Amino acid sequence: MTPQSRLDLLDPAEVARLGGIEIVAAGVVEGFLAGLHRSPFRGFSVEFTEHRAYQPGDELRYVDWRILARSDRLFVKQFEEETNLRAMILVDASRSMAWRGAPQRLTKRAYADRLAAALALVLLRQRDATGLVTFDDAVRQVVPARVKAGQWARLVRGLLDTPDGRGTAAHAALRHLTSLLTRRGMVLLLSDLLFDPDLALTALRYLRHRGHQVIVYHLMDPAELALEGPPEARFRDLESDVSVVVRPRELAQAYAQTVARAITQWRVACRRQGIAYHHVTTDTPFGMALRLLA
Amino acid sequence: MSFLHPLALIGLAAAAIPALLHLLHRRTPPEVDFPAVRYLTAAERESARRLKLRHLLLLVLRTALVIAIVLAAARPLVPMRAGGAHEPTALVVVLDNSPSAGAIVEGRATLERLRRVARASIASATTADRLWLVMADGVVRGGGRDALLAIVDSAGVDARRLDLAAVVGRAARVADAEPAPAREVHVVSDLQRTALGVGRAEIPTSVRVLVLAPGGAPPPNRGVAQAQVAEGVVNLTLSGTPGALPVPATVRWRGREAGRVLAGPGDAASVPLPPGPPGWSVGEAELEPDELRADDRRLFAARIAPAARVAAGPGAGPFVEAALGVLRQGRRIDVGSDVTIGDRPGPGVTVVLPPDDPALVGQVNRALAARGIPWRLEGGGTPGVVASEALEMIAGGTVRRRYRLVGATDSAAVLARVHGEPWLVRDDETVLVGSRLDTAWTSLPATPAFVPFVDALVNRVARGEAPIRTAEGVPRVEFERRAADTVGATVFGLDARESDLTPASPALGERVLGGAVLSEAQLAAARFAGARRADASGWLLLLALVLALAEVAVAILTR
Repeated sequence: MTPQSRLDLLDPAEVARLGGIEIVAAGVVEGFLAGLHRSPFRGFSVEFTEHRAYQPGDELRYVDWRILARSDRLFVKQFEEETNLRAMILVDASRSMAWRGAPQRLTKRAYADRLAAALALVLLRQRDATGLVTFDDAVRQVVPARVKAGQWARLVRGLLDTPDGRGTAAHAALRHLTSLLTRRGMVLLLSDLLFDPDLALTALRYLRHRGHQVIVYHLMDPAELALEGPPEARFRDLESDVSVVVRPRELAQAYAQTVARAITQWRVACRRQGIAYHHVTTDTPFGMALRLLA
Repeated sequence: MSFLHPLALIGLAAAAIPALLHLLHRRTPPEVDFPAVRYLTAAERESARRLKLRHLLLLVLRTALVIAIVLAAARPLVPMRAGGAHEPTALVVVLDNSPSAGAIVEGRATLERLRRVARASIASATTADRLWLVMADGVVRGGGRDALLAIVDSAGVDARRLDLAAVVGRAARVADAEPAPAREVHVVSDLQRTALGVGRAEIPTSVRVLVLAPGGAPPPNRGVAQAQVAEGVVNLTLSGTPGALPVPATVRWRGREAGRVLAGPGDAASVPLPPGPPGWSVGEAELEPDELRADDRRLFAARIAPAARVAAGPGAGPFVEAALGVLRQGRRIDVGSDVTIGDRPGPGVTVVLPPDDPALVGQVNRALAARGIPWRLEGGGTPGVVASEALEMIAGGTVRRRYRLVGATDSAAVLARVHGEPWLVRDDETVLVGSRLDTAWTSLPATPAFVPFVDALVNRVARGEAPIRTAEGVPRVEFERRAADTVGATVFGLDARESDLTPASPALGERVLGGAVLSEAQLAAARFAGARRADASGWLLLLALVLALAEVAVAILTR
């Protein structure tokens, strides 16, 4: 597979035109795993349980060389705890996520859906129990974490069945999530984080205290990083209907500084809580976003 | 501050354009959906003060830019102590090109200096100034700068005298009548003492008078002030700078030199004229050339009349007959009947004396009336002394008896008066005397002036004296004609006061003309000094450029 044909490295919008979430996510994951030298999610246990066929992306150290020598076929060894990782993917479905700064780009929600599907596929291929929660001002869809066959399809359906919401209340959604994650596991939050950071951080901090590994994908459209527009415009918030009249040229620098400061504040706050924070723009190839977990 | 183009100030309304554009632009901004309004609000809140300051600064800069451009277009004039232009001024330049301006002072013509200074005054004016030029002819010429400069350049010495006090007063009134921010009168003259006239110029307080000081020490000058012929003699009077040495004066008559005398300013001299045939003749009296040539020559005219043919009529009296006899002997009169003298009006030229018999007075009056003479004799005249300008020889003579001459009101016909009442009158061909020429009536027959009086009476008064008038102007003689006869003459010449080149003292000039007497350099500095202005449009355009650059800098740097 040449780099030019690897979907994980192509422009997300172009990749999205290939088909539905499943196709895109599968293609992305295939390309991603083909180029991966080391699995990002390694089981915690070392107790061998069974063999499974080698898949691109599997680490070579888990290849069973004896079987290779005997049968000339590649098998990797799997360990007991590898299947015990419970990952929960939280996808922000608020109205602000259904926005894109340019027609040729994916909305943040579309990007998040495809990234979530790809993440889920990667996790499920590693036999990690993977679940899904979509939320806006309330929890909309909950797909409990499973590892059984058909789980990925359920996850994808959960994404598809979640319409674009209105407001955002991540705090409530995250609190509800804590009741769903009874065992320690991994929580991946895919959101534009356009909500009250203090409340959201409180919930994330609670998850960390419960022993969860928390990973935050801060999704932003490139147009949210650099303010552009007509000489003067009334910018209306999609969720709160708050509006403000500004001249983009005048405020561009201050806005860019404010956004950069907000990103930094999120990054610092997450780091303090042991939360992995990744800032991703919607023009970032999916493979690059997946690699952030490596 | 004033403006050369005040109408351009209407453009100041454009100063509102930046504010209006700002307001209009703010009214309907397009609406844009944007999820990260919370960041936008935070940025806007943090930058609000800076943006407000930026907007205010840009508004001020743009408004100031428009104002600066509009003001520059209006060409503002700002007060300055030195240099620069001046605000619109009503300027009257008095150029004294009277005859004295033709004098050569220190090797240069005075008029050249005066023209140069007048030219500088006019050339310093701007198109916003109102200009007038007054010269010795007294005409107040208004016009543009170039037109007046052309007049100054072509101005020569005028034969007319300029009464500076009167002209400066008039010039000041002309300037005062003009609704200009400043008013000035520049008096460019040699400042002759005699040119100041009498009285003082009335200068309105709003008018500034600048007087050019004399250029140098005046040269000694002599001029012929007067030349008149009387009784076959030319009487000369000289004028000029006091203390000037006498010079020879030559009298020419009928193309020949009639005589020469030595005279100085203030001196009078007489030169007898040689006898000649009857008729009008023009002569001249001329001095040796000096620094002022215009007054070195003066014309005169005289009429040599043939001897009158006189007859003594009834009632003439013995004294008259005796006087006529003397005159006949002296060839002053001849025998004939051109003129009759008696107590009855004759058919021709008649000198009528009152009849000795009062009963005949009514007959005389009727005869006078029949000839259309408006005068008549009336009794009741009181004795008195004769007063006469036309017949100086009888002035002071005593009149013991007289009739009152009443009837006409034409004072020009009265040649002599007693107690202010007519005593000797002339109407057409009739001369009427209020007293008989007898010692019982008047003392005149007993005086030496009696024969000359009778001579004048029959030769000049009765036959009609041809008047010779004098007037100011280019030296020449103009004759007055009636049909084929020459009945009078006017001799033109310069005003005798022009010969005295003595300048007035600065104090006198300032007192009479009401302005400062300044040297040429001082006048150049003081000219329009009260209204000196600089055109600030250049500075305003520079300011506009700076404002534009500042606006661009603020717009870019504070973006």
